[in-house]
Amino acid sequence: MTNLRKPGFVLGLIIIAVAIVASLAPQLLATHDPFESVATDRLLPPSAQYLFGTDNLGRDLYSRVIYGAALSLLSASLAVVVGVVVGAVVGLISGFVGGRTDFIIMRFVDVLIAVPGVLLALIVVASLGFGPLSLALGVGLGAAGSFARVMRSQVIRIRSEEYVEAARTLGVRAPAILVQHVLPNAARPVIAMAALELGTAILSVSALTFLGFGAPPPAPEWGALVSAGRDYVATNPGLSIIPGAVILVVVLAVNRVARAIGGDE
Amino acid sequence: MTQVKAWAGYLLPKLGQFLFVVVATYTLVFVLVHFLPGDPLIAALAAKGGASTVIDPAELDALRVQYGLDGTLWQQYFGHLIAAAQGDLGISIATGVPVTEMIGRAFPFSVQIASLALLFGVTSAVLITFLAYAAPWPWLRQLLLQIPPFGIAVPAFLSGLLLISVFAFTLGWLPSAGARSFDAAILPAITLALPVGALFFQVFSSAVLEAQNSPYVFTAVAKGVPPRRIFTKHLLRNALLPSITILGLLIGYLAGGTAVVETVFSRDGIGRMTVNAVLARDINVIQGVVLVVGAIYALVNLLVDVAYGFIDPRTRIGGGVPSRARLGAKK
Repeated sequence: MTNLRKPGFVLGLIIIAVAIVASLAPQLLATHDPFESVATDRLLPPSAQYLFGTDNLGRDLYSRVIYGAALSLLSASLAVVVGVVVGAVVGLISGFVGGRTDFIIMRFVDVLIAVPGVLLALIVVASLGFGPLSLALGVGLGAAGSFARVMRSQVIRIRSEEYVEAARTLGVRAPAILVQHVLPNAARPVIAMAALELGTAILSVSALTFLGFGAPPPAPEWGALVSAGRDYVATNPGLSIIPGAVILVVVLAVNRVARAIGGDE
Repeated sequence: MTQVKAWAGYLLPKLGQFLFVVVATYTLVFVLVHFLPGDPLIAALAAKGGASTVIDPAELDALRVQYGLDGTLWQQYFGHLIAAAQGDLGISIATGVPVTEMIGRAFPFSVQIASLALLFGVTSAVLITFLAYAAPWPWLRQLLLQIPPFGIAVPAFLSGLLLISVFAFTLGWLPSAGARSFDAAILPAITLALPVGALFFQVFSSAVLEAQNSPYVFTAVAKGVPPRRIFTKHLLRNALLPSITILGLLIGYLAGGTAVVETVFSRDGIGRMTVNAVLARDINVIQGVVLVVGAIYALVNLLVDVAYGFIDPRTRIGGGVPSRARLGAKK
């Protein structure tokens, strides 16, 4: 509980809480309809009425950022879930079975780690089509390799523990040992890593939506907002820099809290 | 004779590893493309001609032959592998140009910013480590050590747009787009250097920390050698060596990063070409790019291994160096 006294950690938690509220109940935080254009209020600078200013169609940027949280954060969270589940299953099997199977699986995991995550995600997106789901799948698959590696090393460590030996001697079957003994003990490092991975996933997802591979235009995904503001960077730099800064702040908050979860202080 | 034998025993497995990584990358991409739902050719044609494109079956078959998407999966797998080994990566579905030619044309632009970014990133990582090492006050040290984690969290499009907005539009010092002059490479290279430098910093600074606790540094401090000299003579040398093993990983980061950076700065290059290929659902180009990047990654790792064998003879004569911060194939 020493964590609670650190200002960075508390600030991180507050930012994450706001982001979660924005994803689940955006109407509580938004001040305008994110899709409504007011023709007379185009490209306005930030003011009391429009906190982040307005875009080229006269839409309130602040409300669009708030409504964008759901798409951006849910894709990123889903990506982490895909990475953890795929990685954990592969690592669990590889570490528990061992021998030649382990060797072959791990060589493919090496390659999964070697191919840059962005490129892997691009292959998936190009094959499956654009949208938040295929983004999540692509980014998650890119992260699965590292999860598999961590999971495997945990399994190998736990496999030789006395309580596993004892269970085996008592005649407990392999699947039961995996679920009852190995999985709960291997979970902590994997969860810590998943928390850190969330920051990376938010960055990857927003990069891919920036490139135009997310939900189609009116959707206010964060990366797409930055991309839409790009045309006005000479005259209204805030239009793309403010949503970009929001992404940065959320990623920093997630990373800060994740490091605390991992006990890496 | 024993010398030759030792080298052969050291290099042959590395060479095998190199070939394995290339073939496995190809296999991974092939599996993803062919086992995810959807027909790549139909998707690409729809992207080209609009969603309502109707193609008659005979024509579709002819197109399949043209783009190398005909035959059984095994025929395709081995056919493309053999072709790729001969330098033929197929034909782009969107443009009809051979993929090898497209990559060859875009490559120099990306190499220009990537090598510049590597230079910027590594130099600033070493500089920050040195400043943190020599910092007289703990708060300054803490502040300096906070910079690299920050560098990893900044989205590349944000840092790129900030640089454009400040240095191109407000100050007017450097161009905001294009790839024709050397000036135009500076801002993209800085953008790309941020995450790469931060990644290098993580490995380098922990190697410095490790070397700092070694007996030779203790001796040097006891002798009264000034800190700057200890850093350059003892720490830099011993920490830089293990750090070069992550070069391959950095190359991978650079390759992935060019997609965003080249789009932000409207530059030609591998990254922008890949983005356009994804927009056109042009699977042949994407496959080619990933294979080339995978091959470069494996090649850099091979070269690092060979260089290591020269620099540190212990790696050659069995056993190997225990602490290697590399993320490559290792049991």
